[in-house]
Order: sequence, then C-alpha cells, then structure tokens
Amino acid sequence: MSRQQTGRRNGLLILIAALLLLCVFGAFAIILIAQRTSTPVAQTSAVDQRTATLTIAYSPEKAALIKALTEKFNAEKQRTSDRQIMQVALVELTSEEMINQVLAGEPSFQALSPDSALWLDQLNRRWGDTQATEPGSIAPRITGTPVRYAITPIVIAAWEKSARALGWPDQPVGWSTLQAAAQQDSNFRWSHPSTAYASGLLATLAEFYAGAGVQRGLTVEMAQDAKTVEFVSAIEKTVKFYGEAELAVIQRVLQDGPKTLDAFVVSEQLVVAFNTGVFGQPPDALVALYPAEGTLWADHPLALLETAAVTTNQQRTFQAFREFLAEPESQTLILRAGYRPADLTIPLDSPGSPLVAANGVDPAQPQTTLQLPAPDVVSVVQNVWALTKRKTNVILVVDTSGSMEGDKLDNAQSALRTFLAQIPSDQERVGLVEFNSGVANIIELDTLANNRAVLVDSVDTLTAGGNTALLDAVRSAYTRLQRQADPERINAIVAMTDGKENASAVTLRQLTREIEAGNQDVPVVIFCIAYGSDADYTMLETLAEASGGQVREGTTETIRELYKILSSYF
Amino acid sequence: MELAPIIGTLALGVIAMVLAIYFFVATARGGRRTQAIFFLMLGVVLLVVAAGLGWQRFNPNNAQALVATPRGPVQVRVVTALPVEPWVREAAKRFNASNPTQDGQPVEIQVVAMDGLTALGKFDRDDYGTLVSGTREGLTAGELERLATTFPTVWIPDSRYLVELANASYKERLGRDVFLTDGEYRARPIAISLFVWGIYQSRADVLAQKYGEITWQTVHDAAIAKSGWPELGGDAKWGFFKLVVPNPRRNVGGLAAMIAAAGEYYDRVNISTEDVTNPEFQQWLKELMGALTDVSGASAYTAEDFALFGYSAGDGGQLLESDLLNSMEGIRTRWSDPLVIRYPKYVTWFDFPYTIWVGPETTAAEKNAALQFQQFLLTADIQRLAVQGGLRPVNSEVSITAGDTLFTQWQSQGVEAIVPRTTRMNSPSRDVLLALLRWFDLNVGN
Repeated sequence: MSRQQTGRRNGLLILIAALLLLCVFGAFAIILIAQRTSTPVAQTSAVDQRTATLTIAYSPEKAALIKALTEKFNAEKQRTSDRQIMQVALVELTSEEMINQVLAGEPSFQALSPDSALWLDQLNRRWGDTQATEPGSIAPRITGTPVRYAITPIVIAAWEKSARALGWPDQPVGWSTLQAAAQQDSNFRWSHPSTAYASGLLATLAEFYAGAGVQRGLTVEMAQDAKTVEFVSAIEKTVKFYGEAELAVIQRVLQDGPKTLDAFVVSEQLVVAFNTGVFGQPPDALVALYPAEGTLWADHPLALLETAAVTTNQQRTFQAFREFLAEPESQTLILRAGYRPADLTIPLDSPGSPLVAANGVDPAQPQTTLQLPAPDVVSVVQNVWALTKRKTNVILVVDTSGSMEGDKLDNAQSALRTFLAQIPSDQERVGLVEFNSGVANIIELDTLANNRAVLVDSVDTLTAGGNTALLDAVRSAYTRLQRQADPERINAIVAMTDGKENASAVTLRQLTREIEAGNQDVPVVIFCIAYGSDADYTMLETLAEASGGQVREGTTETIRELYKILSSYF
Repeated sequence: MELAPIIGTLALGVIAMVLAIYFFVATARGGRRTQAIFFLMLGVVLLVVAAGLGWQRFNPNNAQALVATPRGPVQVRVVTALPVEPWVREAAKRFNASNPTQDGQPVEIQVVAMDGLTALGKFDRDDYGTLVSGTREGLTAGELERLATTFPTVWIPDSRYLVELANASYKERLGRDVFLTDGEYRARPIAISLFVWGIYQSRADVLAQKYGEITWQTVHDAAIAKSGWPELGGDAKWGFFKLVVPNPRRNVGGLAAMIAAAGEYYDRVNISTEDVTNPEFQQWLKELMGALTDVSGASAYTAEDFALFGYSAGDGGQLLESDLLNSMEGIRTRWSDPLVIRYPKYVTWFDFPYTIWVGPETTAAEKNAALQFQQFLLTADIQRLAVQGGLRPVNSEVSITAGDTLFTQWQSQGVEAIVPRTTRMNSPSRDVLLALLRWFDLNVGN
C-alpha cells in the first residue's frame, strides 16, 4: 500500500471519527435541551412521582427554628424504600397566603405549618364549602391529621416599668386592664398585629368578648351587635399602629426601646428571644403578662395536604420529618429556642432552658385560655375588625427622578399597585405625591371608594426624569395631613426615594422642626423606603425618627414585598 | 428516570468508538484489527442502548409505562385510628425489619394515621375510588398503579360500628360487601380501651368536695356555674370550668362522649334519634358543651391537647383511657398537677377492629400480606407492646398488671385493671350519629 493510499485512508477514518463524535455530542446536546424543555407531562409523571422532596410552607415568626431543624433533617440524607433521598424544602408564607394558595388549587407546597391550628380549620371549612357533599354528611378535609412539635402561649409583652404600672406582679393583668389603660391614658401606646396572625386575632377576640359582655359563648350575632362594634371601635382607636407581624414589632422595639410602645401582643417565645439577646442587646427587659381572662396558644401544627399531587415518597418524607421533630435532640433544640416542646417528658426547667423568670416568663402560666369560637364566628370577628379598626390617612410619596428609569420604576409601580390592592377597606383614605425636580403630581387624599381607580391610573402612568426634591414632596404630604387634623385616624406618609436630595426649597432641619412641632397635635408617622444603594439613608432616618416612623431598605427584588408589608400597618 | 445512566452509557459508547478508531488506525499500520472490531461493536451497542434510554426518558408517551414499571414490594397500607397509631406504627417497623415475604415478594407495611370518622367520610365519599365494574380486568397501567399506591388494604377504625356503617354504605352503592364480619378476612379487634374521666387533681378535689362523684351531671353543673371556679369552691385564677371532649367533627371520641352523656341523661344504653333530638336534652347538652374551650376543634388529639396545654385549656373531661395513660407522666412533669382517673357509670369501649378490604381493589397478595401483619399484631410480644402504650390486650396470654405497666404505675391515681362497671353503651345508628353531628354544627361548632 502506498503512502498516499495510507494517508487517504487515515484521513477518511479521522473524518468518520469526527462525524461520529459530532453525532454523539449532538445527541447529548439534544438530550440536555430536551431535559430543559421537556413537557410538564413527562416531568410530573416520570420524575415527580418518585420525588421525595417535601415542600413545607411555614409562618414567618418561626423562620429561624424551622430552618435549623430542616437543615439537620436534610443532613441526615434519609432514604425512602426505593432509595430516593428524603429532603425538606421550605417556603415562607403568611397563613392567609397558605390558605389562598390551597383554595386556588395551586399550592407551592405539600405540607404547611401556620402559627395556629385555627387557620387549618378555616382552610378545611372553606375548602369543604367548595366540595359537593350531601347535607349533614361528614365534611371532607384537605389537610391530614396535624402534628405539633412546638407551642407557645400568646402574651402581652410590656416593659417592666409599664407592667408594674398595669399592676403586675401583685394584681391580675388582663385584656381589660390593657384596654382601660389605653382608654384612660392618651400617652399609653400599645399595638397588636392584624387578625391575619394568631396573636392579632386573640387580641381582637378579647375585645369582642369584652364588648359583648361575655367571657365565652361568643356568637355571630353578638359579634355583629352594634354595641359590641362600637366598643371594639373605641378600643381600636387607641392602637398606635398595626404591623406585619410579631417579629417586626420586636425588631422595632429593639431599635427604639420603650419610647415606641408600652405594651404589645406577641408570643411568649419572642419575649424570651428578645430578653436573651437573640435579636441583639435589648434596651430594657420585657415581661410576659398572661391575660387573666385567658389567652390562646400558638401551636404551630404541621399538616400534610391530602391531594393527588402529593406523592407516596413525599408522604414518607412527611412521616420521617414528623418523627425527626419528635426526637429528643430536636425537642431540646425547640426548647432552647424558647418554645415549649411537644415532648412532655422534657421539663421546662431542664438545664439550659431559657423559660425562666429571669427571662420574663412563667412556665406555670397560663392558668386559663380564652374560648376560641367556631370558625364562622372567627370569620365574622375578622370581617368586623376590618371595619372597626382604626382607619388610616396615608399619602404615598413617590420618587420619579431620572435615576428611577427602567426596572426600578417598573418594579416600584408594581409595588404601589400591590400596596393599593392589599388595603381591602374602601373607607381608608389614600393620596399620592409624585416628585422629581419638584412636586410633579398630587392625588389628593380621599377614600379608596372614590379614588382607587385614579390612584391606579396615576401609578400606571408614572415616568422618570429630573432631579430629587424629596423634602419638598414630604412637606407637601405632611402639610396635607396636618390640614386634615384628623387624630381619630392613623396619619402616615410612605416616602420612597432612590437617590439623594438635590432640588428642594425646604431644608432637612426646617422640615424636622415642622414635623416635631406639628406632631404634638396631630401625629403623622413617616415610613421611609431607601430604594437601592444610592438612597440617602441618613436623611431618611432623620425624617423617620422625627415622626416616630421607620426606614426600610428595598431593592428592585424586594420593593413589592416591602410595600405589601407596609400596607398591613394600615 | 434519572439522566445518569443515559449519560454514562453514552460516554462509554463514545470512548469505545474512539478506541475502535484508534485501533483501526493502528491496523493500517499493521495489526490490532480484532481489537478494532471489538470496540466498534461495543461502541455501537452502547450508543444504541443510550439512544433507547434517551427515547424512553424523553418521549412523553412513555411516561405512563415508566410509572408502573418497578415491581417493588407488596405494599399494605393500613389506615389506622389515632389512639392505636403509635403502637401499630412501631409494630409495622418491627414487622418490616423482619423482611417478611408474600409469594416470594417482600412485604412493606405503610401506616396512615386517620381518625375513624374522617376515614368513614372518605369511604362514604368514595375518595379512594372503588372499581364500579368489580374487576381489575381492563385497567390501564396508570389505574393499577393508583390502586397499588393509594388504596387502603386495611382499616383499623376506633370501633366496629364504623366498619358496619362504611360497609352498609358500600353495599348500597356497589351491591357487594367490602368489609366482612366472618371468614378469614373478618374484622378482628387488636386491642381495646374505654372512655374514662380524666381530671386535674387540684380541680377533682374541689369537685369531689362539692358534688361527691364525677358524673356528666356533675360536670354539667360545674359548666353552668356563672362565676366559674370561685362559685364551685376553686381558685379564681382557674377561670371557668373548662370541659375537654374531642370535637366530634375531628375525632370519633367526641361522638362517643356525647352518646355516653345521653346514656347517663336517659339512664339507658340504647340511644335513638328521638332521644338526641329531644329539645330538653339538647338544651342540657348545649349547656354542657358551652364549657368547651376550643369549639373550633383545632385538633383531633384532644388527650394530647389536655397534656400540652394543661389546665389552661381544660380542667377535665371524658377521654380514652389509653390516651390519658400515655399523657399522665408528661402532665405531671409539665404542669406539676397530676391527673386522676375515674370510671363512668356508662362505659363506651373502642375495640379497634383490624379490617381487611375484600374487594378487587387490592390484590390477593396484598390481602394475604395484610393477614400476616394481623397475626403479628396479635402475638404476645406485640400485645405486650400495646400494654406499654396503655391499651388493653386482646391476647389472653398478656396481662396488664404483669410488671411495671402504665396500669400498675397509675393505680394510685385511680386506674383500675378490672373495669368496675359493666354498663356498656350500645353502638349508635348512622341516623343518631348524623343527628348529633348536625346538632353540634348548629349549636356549638358554628
């Protein structure tokens, strides 16, 4: 064979090899693409049917605990009988969001752990109503039998000085004491979360019981009675502000100390965590007051959804996680976090337990609980509360300077729309001040019944350009609220900016003086949002401090959630 | 199917082909032709296999077949009433660990905790999906898979009457029995327990001082005391008398308690629909139930609530003896106030019948594996395990007082090995159950 023939043959072989490799890599690429774009049918039937990853929705106040427990569980890498690794994934949702997702038929989770079992009851009741069943038959449920791993009673948290003023420790302190203090002393400041949280619901229920003049057996009729509604309305006018949840209130009092609030409603566990420095050095010690009339327990149930979408392996993971939570090591971790463990063999005074008098709590309490009415009564209480709660005058101050152009403005618009949608009552008054080089556009304060559509239209048409006249805009909003002279309502400004002040006529010093003076008569709270890293945080902090408000930092990713949280204050 | 086998086979195929090419080149230079052909064939085979796996993995039409492909163990799903669930679950673990087989196939017991009433509701609504045709023939792989992974093989409800109610419902709908009362697959009790009064010692002492014996009437009178415990002679801090009875919508024990209360009210063991719809009785029952702390029924585990939330949530009530016995030590540790146990005049027993589904929805292998597990539960060792959990055994070889059991441990708090009274309440009819549930919804739960 000649050298030329051999060379030709080698070239042919190399060409074949190259083509072969090309085909193989082509096939490989097709597989990868197919994997990414494969149809949902293939994914759900072939992969999901064996998946042992269980997603649990949890309520925000126990984030630290459940994350720690989940991490330990996942590290064990337990396997199902068909060798799938059992893993738990987490998604943080409010109880209301959990219920809504399940009722919408598209939950992002297979199991849920809200702060109280009463939300499971509401979920099952509402889900049951959507099912076709014969009258009087046994009602279907969407959740399986719940298990408990950690419990904590709801308490009134007060600074020691305030607690003593209320009569602690010599006199029984209860809801009536708190309500009387708030009505008799205009300087007494208290707060409770909205009724979307177990602690807020309890505080509100206590008001309804007191208003109806009974201590149990609250009915729908009693809750809707005009006298009860009037009583609750009067009490709610003494609430300084509501809030997104207990955790936010705790963080706020940590930052501002006793000047913010005299008392507030939270779980016992948060009092322990606060006093033991989990959130930072506490400015003063809190005392947990166990209401004499009775309290409720946040019992943190864990329940599996009973839907066809939950695989057998996910059921196995649920069972394994449930058993993991019941293990002595997990239960000890739960106690160390300040919760009362479900394992009754672990004494609350075990070595290392934070549930001691030095941390402001009493493990022998509570002595009695308030009767939790049926879900229908609870729903009525929530609805009536929404009508009787202290109403709001809130003005949104929105930056549309040139630096807001692009995603920043798009996301801010979406956040503002969310804020408006989150305020359900049309009786709330909302206005808007748009600013750039000056005050650009003003939607005057009016009830949402009248101006919801106008506000949404204005938000939709915001455009970016010009400088940043933040102080002029805040002053404009502040003046409008002062002109209303409406101390019956919560008066607030939610001011958002992404840059530094560079165009206002008024100075920061002048404006803070005006705010401090004006707030003597009609308090106006300013919530500031420092949007992005270029915002002048120091200036915003000064404004917020002058009004007893707060500053929150937001990004294009978090701005929508931030506005959503702030909406729960009103 | 995972991607690893596909990618692995593909990679090996590529390597084999590269080697084949290498040896072909070497052949041209003299020698190694055999190796070249060998690697060429190996490479082709591996690439064909990889292609086959890839097609199987990514063709949507194959998804259904993939689900049913694995021939795993014979799975026996045991839907178990809550009071016996910890014991049955532990027994299942031991059974599974003994590597049991049925017709040469390994057996796996899966335990699903469910209150008897909830399970009855599921059977009533046919949530598990019975085969209306009465045969497995003609079922698709997906339908067979659904039956194999979701349909219960065994039901252990709290009481036999629940089985009878479920079977009657199916018989009416399908024209056939699904649970049997005789023969090999008949419902057989695996443990028993009864409803007793459990009251915190401090509260029981006050009630005993005022009323003497604990009865439904005593509890009713305590419940309607207008100013609560001070009126009864107790501490003002205790608030009102708080009754603990399981929510009948969540726990069949709640219905049992209401029927027992009716038994005492009428002083007889047979309760009819007329009895429970009598306005005077309903008024009396409403006053009694007004002392419930949580009428929304947050949980089915009321004995657990009783222990977890202590006297804050309930002063006393009628609950299952086994549940109370399991909570006694925990209550003493957590609340420093022990429980006392008292036996009522009218006794309600739960017998936890092990009931095998006899319809074609489960296979013969599953039914026989279920029988194996039933035998295992009835062995002396496992029955002793039940006693450790506060249940009374059905195996006569096992004593509840032999050794250190919960029954001997808590004798000082009123636990009795031999039940002092034998007036046993009869099982209620479906109409009585539904009438009570309707009454509860209208008067207490709504």
